[in-house]
Amino acid sequence: MLTTISSSTIFFISLLLFGIGAVGSLVLAKSDKWANVAGSVFAVSGSISGLVSSLSVLIKNSVFSFNFDLLAPLLSVSFRVDRLSAFFIFVISLIALVASIYSLGYVKHFYNKYNIGALGFFYNLFLAGMLMVVSAHNAIFFLVVWETMSLASFFLVIFENKEKSNLRAGYLYFIMTHIGTAFIIMAFLLLYRSTGSFDFTVIKNSMGEVSLLVKNLVFVLALIGFGTKAGIIPVHIWLPRAHSAAPTHVSALMSGVMIKTGIYMFIRIFMDMMTGIPVWWGVVVLVIGSVSSLLGVLYALTEHDIKRLLAYHSIENIGIILLGLGSSLVFWASDMKSLAVLGLVASLFHTLNHATFKALLFMGAGSVISQTHTRNMEEYGGLIKHMPQTAFFFLVGAMAISALPPFNGFFSEWATFQSLFYGIKSLSVSVQWVFLLGAGSLAFTGGLAAACFVKAFGAIFLARPRSEEAKHAKESAVTLRIAMAILAALTLVIGFFASYITSVLATVASSVRALGFAEPVFSSAAGAFSLKDGFATVSMPTILFSIVAALVLAWIVLKIINRQAKIKIERTWDCGTNLNGRMEITATGFSRSIITVFRGLLKPTKQTDVEYHDADMRYFAKSSAVHLGIEDIYLNNLYKPLQALVARLAAHVRKIQLGNLNVYVLYIFLTLFALLILLAF
Amino acid sequence: MFIESPQTLFFLEALIFASVIFINIAKKNSFAVFLYMAQSFVVAFLLFNSSLKESSFTLMLVALSVFAVKVIVAPYFFRNLINKHQLKFSVSTYLNGPMTLVILAMLTAFTFSSFFQPLSILSQENFNALLLALSTMLISVFVIINRKGALSQMIGILSLENAIVSFAFLSGLEQNAGPQLGIVFDILVWVIIATVFASMIYKQFGSLDVSMMKNLKEE
Repeated sequence: MLTTISSSTIFFISLLLFGIGAVGSLVLAKSDKWANVAGSVFAVSGSISGLVSSLSVLIKNSVFSFNFDLLAPLLSVSFRVDRLSAFFIFVISLIALVASIYSLGYVKHFYNKYNIGALGFFYNLFLAGMLMVVSAHNAIFFLVVWETMSLASFFLVIFENKEKSNLRAGYLYFIMTHIGTAFIIMAFLLLYRSTGSFDFTVIKNSMGEVSLLVKNLVFVLALIGFGTKAGIIPVHIWLPRAHSAAPTHVSALMSGVMIKTGIYMFIRIFMDMMTGIPVWWGVVVLVIGSVSSLLGVLYALTEHDIKRLLAYHSIENIGIILLGLGSSLVFWASDMKSLAVLGLVASLFHTLNHATFKALLFMGAGSVISQTHTRNMEEYGGLIKHMPQTAFFFLVGAMAISALPPFNGFFSEWATFQSLFYGIKSLSVSVQWVFLLGAGSLAFTGGLAAACFVKAFGAIFLARPRSEEAKHAKESAVTLRIAMAILAALTLVIGFFASYITSVLATVASSVRALGFAEPVFSSAAGAFSLKDGFATVSMPTILFSIVAALVLAWIVLKIINRQAKIKIERTWDCGTNLNGRMEITATGFSRSIITVFRGLLKPTKQTDVEYHDADMRYFAKSSAVHLGIEDIYLNNLYKPLQALVARLAAHVRKIQLGNLNVYVLYIFLTLFALLILLAF
Repeated sequence: MFIESPQTLFFLEALIFASVIFINIAKKNSFAVFLYMAQSFVVAFLLFNSSLKESSFTLMLVALSVFAVKVIVAPYFFRNLINKHQLKFSVSTYLNGPMTLVILAMLTAFTFSSFFQPLSILSQENFNALLLALSTMLISVFVIINRKGALSQMIGILSLENAIVSFAFLSGLEQNAGPQLGIVFDILVWVIIATVFASMIYKQFGSLDVSMMKNLKEE
């Protein structure tokens, strides 16, 4: 009883602290420094409270709920934190904690340029909004807090409002998020129509009365609505623009955790509320996951804007999460609950992992941007000499996202692979091919992600500086490095304790109604994660110790071999010319060959500009440049035609808008008539 | 002392109905205002009669307020507007006189058709008067649609309100005195604002003909 009270109290204290942080920042807005301190410190405190509260639920299963009916009969402030909610609260709070530490130092470069009080206000509101989204237990209340989260994040995206591109990104985000919300509202209204309630528990308990047609419609609507927030392809177009426009600590949160609220609702609706789902739901989710993961990483490869590159990797990782979730849905629909637990655990694990390494990478990028004042990777180079710690943390993040052991990304992708392999092994031929597609896509994705981060790390930190700013860059502030160090350590720690974390996540997965009381197909013991029929085993501690041992052995061998050798430092042979930044391979050049391989998918565009010393003679080029880009196929083939269609329809509809009161009253009159006649029949 | 026979109530409702018919075909603004005043007088009389029947002081207060606002204040504002801007003749209509009468006949026939038979559950004895009140509502809306002058449209809106009040009265759907007083106050404020707006529109466009107000349109 005491535990229940304390975990709920701590949760509400967390919301209260975010509220104080929001108001405090506004009150202290006249002083940039104090507004930043208030916003960040209360955000840190609120995040710690959120962590404590969620851990209590996760470990002790002290589920709590709170319900307060407002005057309006349909709107009740209703929270329920079960294990699934607690897991997402944990992830949000964890990243919010580190992002808030980071913001203490990072926000300084906005002093005297932008309104820090407003930043602190919307930042805390955003954090509180996310926590409430994953704990809301009434559809109307959910929509209120969903909108709070969306609007707060919109204002954060346009925070640097002197940049027109940021305003455009914010505008696009605003439109897309509300299109998504429209679909979500339709889904909830359909559920309300069938169950007569907006309360999640009532909906869940009345699911037997909902017809399959309604379930299918809700699935499609929720998939589009929450998929828009999650950034699945093709409703992802807002994501690279908005995530790159926001301040870095906000980008880390948006990319690391906000998009996961869409995943949370997928699980909540599809697996916790629904019953008796058809197999094709899982197949659709798997196909979307395969496409999103593969295309996400390919688009990332074409980017030379560091934040957009990372944003595209979010699409890729959402795809990977969906591969786990999709396989879980298929297994559940095929009455293979033990395997469904494996798929869901892989999905949840990757949710946690992606949050940590993506936040780390965004913070690394933010540190670099704060020194070089550009997001263009072609203008970096050689930063490892000036920002060695940032380079190290970024490298850790890059290895984790590339699924290299011993970091956490490796384990969740491995678990996702196992889930897909089980599908290939156990399911009928009609479904096998989707799992095969998923596994192939995931394999490609892993390789391409590694290539992309070789490009990113090489272009940013290695070779020589390619701009004056890069030449004079300095290591970032202490709070920034502390935040990055925490996340870098976490990627290793989570990887190391993957086996233990998996057992916790198995309890989360089993708490979902679809998988209740299911015996997992895996076991975790002594740091090893084993699939029960000897299908596969992995031990992260063993991998870590093996790598460390191999490195130590290699170092010893080198020492022995080179013990007699003398070190000579000479200039690199440069063919008689002076080495400079222009001689290095650029990010664009690095990815060009891969883009060429996938030109059928990416539709690259190439423009060559040559300027001659003598325009008539055209023998001696003064300068030449190649601009390599890709066609935005979604914008050109989906959104622009859709926009044109809407514009044409609007032009037709506008014909009835004559600006004459008489005509408008006539419309009302005719409508009234029509309704009366309709009523008579 | 007070009237409660269905025939008398039907007669009073017929007066309200006749006033809106004449508002539709009136050429002079001042005549339309007079017709509205007469219509409002009948409505105030109905309410006054109800207050006597119920022996309710508050209802009498409502009837007096209705009388003050609709029979005295609103026509006063309209007459001032007419005198100030020399709006003796009302602006033209979209449909000519005969066509207007045809539409009015059709609307009346529609309300007396089988569509509205279910309304008899509201009041069996005043059923015909109820249908007449419904016709008055539809014809008042038609005033707003058919006439181009802003003043006529304002009278159409107020006539619609009178029709709703009489419908509520006949069907026994009257509210307590509080909401009724609130509605009367609302109408008073609306009349003042609408008159001021109409005056401003006249200054801007030199006419109260809404079809002449092209400058606010996007070209």
